Amino acid sequence: MFNQKKLSLAWGNPPSRDRNQNLAYTLRITVGLVWAILLLAPFLFHDVRALEVAARICIFIVLVASYDLLIGITGIVSFAHTLFFACGAYGAAIGLKLYGGSWSAYSLGSLAGMLLAVTIAAVIGLLSLRVKAIFFAMITLAVASLALVMVSQFSAYTGGEDGLTYKTPALFKTATKLLENENGSTVKVFGTKLNGKLAAYYFLSFSCLLIFALTVRLVATPLGSVLKAIRENDTRAEAIGYRVVRYRSLIFCLSAASAAVAGSIYAVWLKYTGPETVLSFTIMIDILLMVVIGGMGTIWGSVPGVLLLVLAQYYLRDLMEIAAEKTTGIPLLPELLSPERWLLWLGIGFILVVYFFPKGLAGAMLASGEKR
Amino acid sequence: MKKQQSGSSLQTKSLSISFGGHTAVNAVSCQFHPNELTVIVGPNGAGKTTFFNLISGQLKPTHGQVILNNHDVSQMPPATRARLGIGRAFQLTNLFPRLSVLENIRLVVQAHSGDGWRFFTRITALPELEAKAEHFLHLVGLSSVAHMLANELSHGNQRKLEVAMLMAMEPDIYMFDEPTAGMSLDEAPSLLELIANLKNDSSKTVLLVEHKMSVVRALADRIIVLHNGEVLEDGTPDRIMTSKLVKDVYLGNAGGLA
Repeated sequence: MFNQKKLSLAWGNPPSRDRNQNLAYTLRITVGLVWAILLLAPFLFHDVRALEVAARICIFIVLVASYDLLIGITGIVSFAHTLFFACGAYGAAIGLKLYGGSWSAYSLGSLAGMLLAVTIAAVIGLLSLRVKAIFFAMITLAVASLALVMVSQFSAYTGGEDGLTYKTPALFKTATKLLENENGSTVKVFGTKLNGKLAAYYFLSFSCLLIFALTVRLVATPLGSVLKAIRENDTRAEAIGYRVVRYRSLIFCLSAASAAVAGSIYAVWLKYTGPETVLSFTIMIDILLMVVIGGMGTIWGSVPGVLLLVLAQYYLRDLMEIAAEKTTGIPLLPELLSPERWLLWLGIGFILVVYFFPKGLAGAMLASGEKR
Repeated sequence: MKKQQSGSSLQTKSLSISFGGHTAVNAVSCQFHPNELTVIVGPNGAGKTTFFNLISGQLKPTHGQVILNNHDVSQMPPATRARLGIGRAFQLTNLFPRLSVLENIRLVVQAHSGDGWRFFTRITALPELEAKAEHFLHLVGLSSVAHMLANELSHGNQRKLEVAMLMAMEPDIYMFDEPTAGMSLDEAPSLLELIANLKNDSSKTVLLVEHKMSVVRALADRIIVLHNGEVLEDGTPDRIMTSKLVKDVYLGNAGGLA
């Protein structure tokens, strides 16, 4: 039959496969370490701001991973991801606002928000996932803009531009003592009070870790394989028997649900929900940047992508302030490093990352493309 | 609609399609039977690939019907037809370029076995999918390149993968669109032999578009000559080869039948 020997001489196995495998493991271990640090954050960092940053990182990992399911794995370009995020957040917020800080109000509100997100996704998906990718992107952009307008118009429910503040379930109140000592004050472990804030943080971080793990898992299943096939060649996927529109709609809904859950978790953590925190296009652009920096289509890349961008957004200014102080006396440098120019440096950093790692940080480590 | 046990009957009834003013396929009525290898020949632009597209569903006819086991399938999407047993390979290599060779085939296998919606079981926990995929890779001689990306393969190997993907569909009706186009001369015969063996299974129908006349004569049970979207001749190889009409219109220009 075929000349097997000749074939294997001509091609063999790619010589760099072992090295690629090692890099893939390194990436996974790094991501695992980041998660370990995030889970230990309350005990490692004692200032309030650090915990806010850690919580934001967890939430955005979920957002970016679920967005990567769309853009990187399935090849669907959507600008409505913050809309779904906002559905969950506003659902939880309105529930808590109307019915007080109870678990039932929170879960009912979150569930309603998630159902709304999935319904919107299903309608957009079934109506327009048949059309060309660029039209679909425009439709999602239009729906997301519409949502922004509606949130500010229906201010009786949404609080308009000011947003909503509300009570959270009692367990998550800062004054709640998880463990009391004999004096009646909160027990401290490694200098961290075991209070409601800690409970809220663990609710947030564990939920996010779970969703992230499920997303990673999904890509390794037969369904994940079909999604990649649709990204690679949708006509062929259809020709071998997959109903492409159904798969696209399903993943659009799943991704929407995941973003909505992230929204309701963030809402109970922040105790505030407003357009600036969950719905603005700034957040959508952040998500896009994080996906690109991390590496599209890798899911794992969401962790380095989010980590880099969120840390830069919160700490680059501080870092530059220190650098500017140290360089006083040297001409020009202190002016360039002055903290108000932080966006300039963030922009330069972004360009450099895209230039040197066009496939993103994780994409560069998984260089040979798809692994089994 | 259920698949029949002993093969499927495929029929086209005055199948036509027009693009603007141009009629690419015009009133083609043919019946295809199991255990038969039909070769479709015709000059470039005769409508061979369009005819395939109409049967497998990439295009919907302007007039006429595609009948599979007495059911009209002409308005069904390609995926549904694929699951009913109409499988095709493409003339222009049409793979999943940045997925591995193995994954290309495994996708076909899992479409056939209906595992495409499984969202929690790891694909590696379903070794039967991989085993079956490897079987088809072995069949076309691609086992040694299973872990390369499809777009890293040589042209000849991409053609083999294309054929393997159709075989992995295990359809009742196989449609090959110039499977050996651009392949080297020493690779083509074994691939064609593989295709010829398919019809030995009495429930399989094979349709093949092929240009190499020597190949056609050796393989075909029946030849259909398309010209300007219409059936010019339809019959046994001997009849076609001696047909004066065919000689004049098509083969005559190409310098005879040898």
